[in-house]
Amino acid sequence: MPLTTEELSEIKMILGREPTRAELSMFEAQWSEHCSYKSSRYYLRLLPTTNSNVLIGPGRDAPAVKAFDRFALVFKIESHNHPSAVDPYNGAATGIGGIVRDIMTLGAKPIALLDLLFLGEPSNQYANWLIRGVVKGISDYGNRIGVPVVAGMIWFDKSYNTYPLVNVACVGIVEVSKLVNSVPEAGDLIVVAGNSTGRDGIFGSSFASKSLGSDELSNISAVQVGNPLMEKLLIDAITEATELGLIKYMKDLGGGGLATALSELAADHNLGAVVILDSLHLREGNMSPEEILVSESQERMMLIVASDRLNDLGAVLKRYDLEYSVIGYLSSDGLIKVYYRGELVANVPAKELAKPRIRLWDIEIPEEYRSLGRELRIPEVNDLSHALRKVLSSPNVVSKEWVYSQYDYEVGIRTVIKPGAGDAAVLRLMEVSEYAGIAVKGDGNPRYVYLNPFMGAANAVGECYRNLISVGSKPVAIVDELNAGNPEKPTHYWYFTQMVKGVAWMAQELKLPVVGGKVSFYNEDLSNGSQVRPVTTIVGVGLIDDVRKSVTYSLKNDGDYVIVVGVTCPELGGSEYIYRCFGLEAGEIPLPRPSSEILNGTYVSKLIDLGYALAVHDVDVGGIAAAISEMCVKGMKGVMIDLSKVPARGCSRFDEIMFSESQARYLVEVRRDCLGKALELARDLNVEVGVLGEVHGDELAIRYGDLDLVRVGINELREIYDNTLERLIEG
Amino acid sequence: MIRFPGSNADLDVVWVIRKVAGVNASLVWHKEFRHGIYDAIVLPGGFSYGDWLRAGAIAARSEVMDEVGEDVLNGVPVLGICNGFQILVESGILPGALLPNTSGRFICGWVKLRLLNPRGPWLKLAQHGLVVDMPIAHGEGRYYVDEEPINRPMIKYFDTNPNGSSYDIAGVASESGLVLGLMPHPERAAEQILVPDDRTPGGLIIWRSIASALKEGW
Repeated sequence: MPLTTEELSEIKMILGREPTRAELSMFEAQWSEHCSYKSSRYYLRLLPTTNSNVLIGPGRDAPAVKAFDRFALVFKIESHNHPSAVDPYNGAATGIGGIVRDIMTLGAKPIALLDLLFLGEPSNQYANWLIRGVVKGISDYGNRIGVPVVAGMIWFDKSYNTYPLVNVACVGIVEVSKLVNSVPEAGDLIVVAGNSTGRDGIFGSSFASKSLGSDELSNISAVQVGNPLMEKLLIDAITEATELGLIKYMKDLGGGGLATALSELAADHNLGAVVILDSLHLREGNMSPEEILVSESQERMMLIVASDRLNDLGAVLKRYDLEYSVIGYLSSDGLIKVYYRGELVANVPAKELAKPRIRLWDIEIPEEYRSLGRELRIPEVNDLSHALRKVLSSPNVVSKEWVYSQYDYEVGIRTVIKPGAGDAAVLRLMEVSEYAGIAVKGDGNPRYVYLNPFMGAANAVGECYRNLISVGSKPVAIVDELNAGNPEKPTHYWYFTQMVKGVAWMAQELKLPVVGGKVSFYNEDLSNGSQVRPVTTIVGVGLIDDVRKSVTYSLKNDGDYVIVVGVTCPELGGSEYIYRCFGLEAGEIPLPRPSSEILNGTYVSKLIDLGYALAVHDVDVGGIAAAISEMCVKGMKGVMIDLSKVPARGCSRFDEIMFSESQARYLVEVRRDCLGKALELARDLNVEVGVLGEVHGDELAIRYGDLDLVRVGINELREIYDNTLERLIEG
Repeated sequence: MIRFPGSNADLDVVWVIRKVAGVNASLVWHKEFRHGIYDAIVLPGGFSYGDWLRAGAIAARSEVMDEVGEDVLNGVPVLGICNGFQILVESGILPGALLPNTSGRFICGWVKLRLLNPRGPWLKLAQHGLVVDMPIAHGEGRYYVDEEPINRPMIKYFDTNPNGSSYDIAGVASESGLVLGLMPHPERAAEQILVPDDRTPGGLIIWRSIASALKEGW
């Protein structure tokens, strides 16, 4: 969004004179929504951000959480929605590049990537082009830099046909003693390393801070182009320089370019900076100072180095053939002074530049929301086998192998539980010990948010929590990405405020600090300006003492028992079942149940730790029926389950038990000889469980007492589950 | 272990050589590599020079490959994994060419492989026809060759051919087996903890072979 008249007069007040062109550009970049969070800061304060494990909370380019005493996990989420809508390949690729550099700013080695994609219908030609472009962009960039994409989620909805949401997250690890977190001082040198600065991504952050018009293709110059080889060299060189302790402080040159990095760095440390733009290595001649200041050329890092370490740092960068420039030094006067061709082109107080005033917009509950049907009338269903096939073949349920097989998810030799095998990815941390590890996962459900943004956002936190529990980890922290519409429109802003509150509430209940995150506004359909479905995505990290104990969700042994943990309620509102079978997106969505999440999560963790559980799957989209089908397909084993054994409340129909998306539930394969002990433990902890049946044979049979409801062969389930997405996308 | 700009599986292989094979390994930046120093050479996976032009094309023409060629003449075993295989083929040390997968997409996943005519340091301990599991991860892994190189040690895809390779070839060696190149990643199939439920660590045969070969000859 360009600066408003109000903001312009404020700038004149700050400077006491008319701003220069360079100064105006700096203010426009830094005061953009993307860089300044001016429309979201007020509400983001609601999020719980600290506990004893949090080493660095929100505010830096990335947060850090303590893990296994000596180590820090650095992880963060980022959106690249606007660029991906214009140029899906480069937009998604540079999203990966940016999030990886954020992680590197603390000196951490990036070890895993996640992608959370909200895509249009594969049958829509334009959406199909976007889908292929986004996935290929992530694939080409992630694979080339050697950081495995190990987890994430994908959701398909026609709301994203012209405008996808592309959220990416990265996890890194560093020894606490090597965290790049010194206090920069006046006299330290400012070094820019990596790519040369060119005209790409000019005002990218301002571009992302307004709605895209139907002339969006003219914005192509605001999209950056990635160079993964350069990024890989940066990773290698900076890892080495961090190891040698050569860098005091780092910032990614991301949204807002040099202007933003300089003002944030100086403002955060009560410093100023003197910058000579002529020293910066440029890709093209005759760039104006304002272009240089706000260019978002990729693969550039700003390194703060003590003057007596410059030669050592230079030697490391040269070894990797990386260009670098010493562009100036930090000063103590709090002013950012920028010189170009002998002229002082900008002279602004860093503090005022870095933090524009908070904007609070009007809020209004949309009429569309008020008129949503809350009462569900679901027709009687006789053929539940057919209903199961419909749900299981939903693109939101089926295997996402078409996507993740394009990612090198094994590079780094850490990936213990790989994509498609468990509820979360599990990675070993060899630097900690032979079998220490982490679990990572990302979740979000735009249909839930559409029907109830507060509860929908809260449920994303709950689902992420369960997924981390399912593989045997202890959840430690989350980051969130709030994808919303135009904050200036009261009905769009309402969704944003509700989502933040939902995350804040649930995170506090589950005692999960929200250590960082991102807000993305102005996500609107290109053709008509309506907001694309807003969604909150949550990425969480859990710790595992012994990765040999982590579990996947494939059924393992004939004769083992399948139990359900948690209570099933008639919660079909917003479910995949009523959407797939009746085209309904209505009703009240499943209630978040934080105290059950904690209780049931504790129980499942114990089952895994004691070795009673051989497979665990959380119950979410598609309900018990979809979850058990996935367990069968992955293990190529059959099972007969009896729905009358499900602890249920108020369910009057079979389909309610089969497809309800009630929260806080898991399916667990319990070793045959451990069932008694598992049930005893449930009684001790006061957890409700039901023994549904035994693993055997080659078909999935679902019954209620003596009544047969569903019989489907595993081969047929597998065919549906494994091949549907490729058919939908490749035709 | 030679590191090119863009190599990304280099540290993985060093880890496995040290931990699994029990052999010392150093990571050598391509500009600093000289012949006549090392007992064996590995060219790792990754995207040397960003795969510009063609996968492996630029690395194959860089000075370090003259040094590697010198070592090969002197009987030093060389293993090229994935991008390393592409480099060996591009430089003419191994026959054939590697083209984009028939699907047009990058493919990551586990495959079954059969080892044929095993001999030389890298396959010393294998029996003819042995079937092993390893993962692949490549966009340009379709091996193309006019005539099947029947007298050489070969590694073939066993049940499915994931990329359209001629004669199902996943890897091929020089006639003596001294130089071996393969698309699958033996370093990712060398430790039980990284192996999926229904697979076995099929890369071990290569690491155990080279460890034995370096100690006792082949």
